[in-house]
Amino acid sequence: MTVATVTTDINIGPFKIPANGQNMIMISYAQKNNLAVELAIPEPMRSNALATIQWLHKERKLTRVILSSIHQLPIKKKEFEELIQNMEDVEFHFALENLKGKGKNFLIETSKEAKIFMNASNIESKEKNYLDLYKITQKL
Amino acid sequence: MDIKKELTQGKGYAVIEIEDTHLLNELKNSIIEKINISNNFENDINFVRKKVAKMSKAEVNQCMIDLSKFNNLSEMIVNSCPKLVESLCGKELFIQRRATIVMNVPGEGQAKQWPHYELMSGISPYSYIIWAPLHDLEENSGVYYFDQKRSLEIMKKEQEIGIVNGPTILNMMSNQKPKKLNFGQAVVFNPFLLHGNIVFNSEYARIACTTRFQSSNKPLLQKNTDYLKFYSLN
Repeated sequence: MTVATVTTDINIGPFKIPANGQNMIMISYAQKNNLAVELAIPEPMRSNALATIQWLHKERKLTRVILSSIHQLPIKKKEFEELIQNMEDVEFHFALENLKGKGKNFLIETSKEAKIFMNASNIESKEKNYLDLYKITQKL
Repeated sequence: MDIKKELTQGKGYAVIEIEDTHLLNELKNSIIEKINISNNFENDINFVRKKVAKMSKAEVNQCMIDLSKFNNLSEMIVNSCPKLVESLCGKELFIQRRATIVMNVPGEGQAKQWPHYELMSGISPYSYIIWAPLHDLEENSGVYYFDQKRSLEIMKKEQEIGIVNGPTILNMMSNQKPKKLNFGQAVVFNPFLLHGNIVFNSEYARIACTTRFQSSNKPLLQKNTDYLKFYSLN
């Protein structure tokens, strides 16, 4: 029964969260949900394959994995399929979204939602003041 | 009244009648159950309000945090006004992942919400907000709204001096007149409206629920999956 937290690259979908921040998010989530974290797994920078947790799962039999966000799931189809195949029996927790679940369908649905958000357009807030933001809503 | 026009080009807010009051009742009862301070035989919002009114600020805060685990509240709010929501945003939505249940305790010195724009939080300018009390409101216990024209004038003045929610706005807390709503009514408003609440006197707390939603075809601002989830109206 091993509960692990996982830190990844600082760039997580639309977010930029340093590993220290990721740890704070996951530990806070674990405390709120009475989960005792036994293992902290760092995935390598510039990779979102979540390969390290899959290798460790073979040795340590992870039961629960806590990630900061659903945007940390692998994007490449092959890598995502490998994750499902190797970790279908593991309960995944996504702290920022307050989501948890297990199995192929849960991971597929979660990944779908992440993709919908990744495909949504964004307003670059640094370039706009409040009145600019109002004006763009008036362009019907 | 064309509500979309009223919200975008008119006053910026509108009082609406909830379309599915049965669902609103279900929502209210779920909240009573989750607050878990009502006796089994006292499934009554006023019983809960009276208890909440006597809680400390920390207890009220903890209660609100506990209620944030209510993870289908946003869907329930949106589904209680499906025609309205669809007319504003279509069927494919981004809705607040964890809707808020707001408890306001009566009396001087109690936490109160100073005037603010929802936009300040980083929600998309294309968002709308629904705010619904879970009981008839008593005098002054609701929310006041500055109409869009006035809100934008204040926003412009603040922008000219490079501030947001500065002293001018903070000093506007007094002498406001909150909207008096009944259970089954709600206010829907855009994120550019200044709004807030004032001190009120009663033996009951005020309990309301609120959620934000936008079309998933409209752009996001600073909120993403941390705050929103994808939802399709039936």
